Amino acid sequence: MRIRKRPGVGVRMVRLLLMAAAVIGGAAATARAQAQPRANACLTCHGGLAEARLSAPATLFSGEDIHRNSGFACADCHGGNPETRDAAMAHDRGRGFRGAPRASEQIAVCARCHSDPDLMRRYAPRQRVDQAAEYATSVHGKQLASGDSRVATCASCHGAHGIRVVRDAKSPVFPTNVAATCASCHANAAHMTGYKLPDGKPLPTQQLADYQKSVHYAALTTGGDLSAPTCNDCHGNHGAVPPGVGSVANVCGTCHAVFAQKFATSVHAEIFDKGCVECHSNHAVLKPSDKMLGAGEGTVCATCHSGADDKGAIAATAMRSGLDRLTDALKKSTDVIDRVGNAGIEVSAEELKLADARNHLTLARTEMHAFNPAVVEPVIQSGLTIIGDVDNAGQRAGNELSFRRRGLALSLAAILFFVAALWLKIRQIEKTER
Amino acid sequence: MMKRTLDWVDERVDLSGLREFIAHKRVPIHTQEIWYYLGGMTLFLFGVQVVTGILLLLYYRPSATEAYESVQFIVSQVEFGWLIRNMHSWSANLLVGLAFAHFISVFLLKSYRKPRELTWLSGILLLFLMLGFGFSGYLLPWNELSFFATKVGTGIAGSVPLIGKFLLRLLRGGDDVTGATLSRFYAVHVAMLPALATVLVVVHLLLVQRQGMSVPLKLERRVKEGQPLKEMKFFPNYVLRDVLAWYVVLAVLAALAAFYPWELGHKADPFAPVPAGIRPEWYFLAMFHTLKLLPSHILGIEGEHVGVIAFGLLGAFLVMVPFLDRRASRGERSPIFTAIAILGLAYLIVFTIIGRYAN
Repeated sequence: MRIRKRPGVGVRMVRLLLMAAAVIGGAAATARAQAQPRANACLTCHGGLAEARLSAPATLFSGEDIHRNSGFACADCHGGNPETRDAAMAHDRGRGFRGAPRASEQIAVCARCHSDPDLMRRYAPRQRVDQAAEYATSVHGKQLASGDSRVATCASCHGAHGIRVVRDAKSPVFPTNVAATCASCHANAAHMTGYKLPDGKPLPTQQLADYQKSVHYAALTTGGDLSAPTCNDCHGNHGAVPPGVGSVANVCGTCHAVFAQKFATSVHAEIFDKGCVECHSNHAVLKPSDKMLGAGEGTVCATCHSGADDKGAIAATAMRSGLDRLTDALKKSTDVIDRVGNAGIEVSAEELKLADARNHLTLARTEMHAFNPAVVEPVIQSGLTIIGDVDNAGQRAGNELSFRRRGLALSLAAILFFVAALWLKIRQIEKTER
Repeated sequence: MMKRTLDWVDERVDLSGLREFIAHKRVPIHTQEIWYYLGGMTLFLFGVQVVTGILLLLYYRPSATEAYESVQFIVSQVEFGWLIRNMHSWSANLLVGLAFAHFISVFLLKSYRKPRELTWLSGILLLFLMLGFGFSGYLLPWNELSFFATKVGTGIAGSVPLIGKFLLRLLRGGDDVTGATLSRFYAVHVAMLPALATVLVVVHLLLVQRQGMSVPLKLERRVKEGQPLKEMKFFPNYVLRDVLAWYVVLAVLAALAAFYPWELGHKADPFAPVPAGIRPEWYFLAMFHTLKLLPSHILGIEGEHVGVIAFGLLGAFLVMVPFLDRRASRGERSPIFTAIAILGLAYLIVFTIIGRYAN
């Protein structure tokens, strides 16, 4: 048996370096090949066509497009031969040309890549690959499967050409644009004709108008909070389905977790058909206020609870009274501290306590969702105790302020007396001199 | 008791020369004599600054982590600490205001003319020192407003051509405003500037006493023509009037300190966004607003550089005024310098007001 001599350390090192260089060089070449657009005669011909229907895709694809930027070409979706300018050869069905995919085909066209984990890992490793499967479970997907080609497919929301990544502010599915994208169909009464709710009523088309009145819309647009909910945060995106009546509290609870937790312990949890929506509405979620609570006119509770003996009305009145007491005390105390603070008294400790009292008010409003006055009242009392301390400090600060002003008045009087005495003395001296 | 003490000192030091000087010193009486008191009032406020500053030093801690808290402690916990801090802040502003008024009155009366060039020089340097006191003291409470205003102010110093970068790092103790900046501003505010100011105040006062009060040009010509000059005794007549003026300043200071307390604001947070409406103290507003209005480039040079050079030249011009105004030195009217003073004053007032209300 021949024993092959093991190469020396130096030879092994050189081999290792050569192998590493080959791997790195190969990877770089692959990356370059991926990033560089391949021959694409489609753009040359279509870009020059007079008919907008045929030229617009080329123009859009030539601009900002994630697929073009990643090295894909027209033929990757439409098939055909991108290397020739001969229309017949380019559009040769024998070479797989499929033209513009119909609605029913779109999902499959996109899913060829987007549902392929091996392929997607090379371009967007963090991106999910179950969009097509999810879509099949959505109302859109089910309608499409039943032969309805008017429903939204991939291109309806993301666009067909000039597709931008979701995090691009110009993308139609960027958080601030989602509502308008959904509304392009859902606010179009003509388009929505024929679609019905489970109860048989026509599907409404005022969702966008309602949503634009909501705190969520304000937070997203004027507040610049991109985490504020828009359509897909409650309905899902690829698997878009209206939340079932029984699951509304769960949907709201994904963000408003503590409120959902309190609500789950309340008597209303089993009674309310629509959960949170019963009081707060669905799309037009207005800024909540204490005025919603209580048994008086204009309160939300009064919709169901009325009468002096109604337990719900009594509980609502008690909770409203507690919140009002804490709010009023907080306002008065804040005014006192602001006044003495503006007058130069150091009040940072009191401002901290007021912040704590404000937290108690927020906590009481949260606890209120359990609809149990016995839970809310201790929080109110704790807040009032803090405010009591602040009021005492405010009183002391006010006394200090009065002391300072009295002291100043006396000092000024003494100074002015001395000024007058000096003046008289000067006159006396000068009179004597004359 | 007083006489016995003076006799005891006299026996040992021989105060007869000083007594003789005081007994014979006279102060001219004329329609413009009211301006004489501005210098004394400024001196009084300088004394207030020294006394209140020393009291604040007892509790103030010059570090980024403790400065704000120590001032907070002074105004909330220390007995009459609020009064001392308010008086120090208000007195600083009144001091700069009165020093400006004194400077303008001396300029308009041409009191800088021969032989008082050195008095003018020491005075103008004192005015610059007062502005330095204001700039360095503003940062010491380490609050939001002072932090960002210092950032802007030292940034302007960084625009000085050629040495800007060096100057900026020298002022800040690094590339940014940090605790190191606070330490050196503190050292400048409580040691370097007071030492320089004390020397200059002594020189300024000695010169004033040695040369006596200047009289307006017109009056001087009349005296030369033989008209007698009305005078009053320095002691007690003038001294008592001076003391009376000091008391009036004290009354104004006490009222401001008690009724318009100096706000402490929020602690500086270097990572917080710059709050809206950041502007320097009022006495830097005209300069600050002028720099803001300058175009980005003037004759190919950065606008801010041009502005800083122009202000540097203006400072040099002010220092050199007694040597440039030859007509006043000869005892003649010099309307050009009067016009310069009036235009300069108008510029300061207008740009300060615009700077105050500009967005």
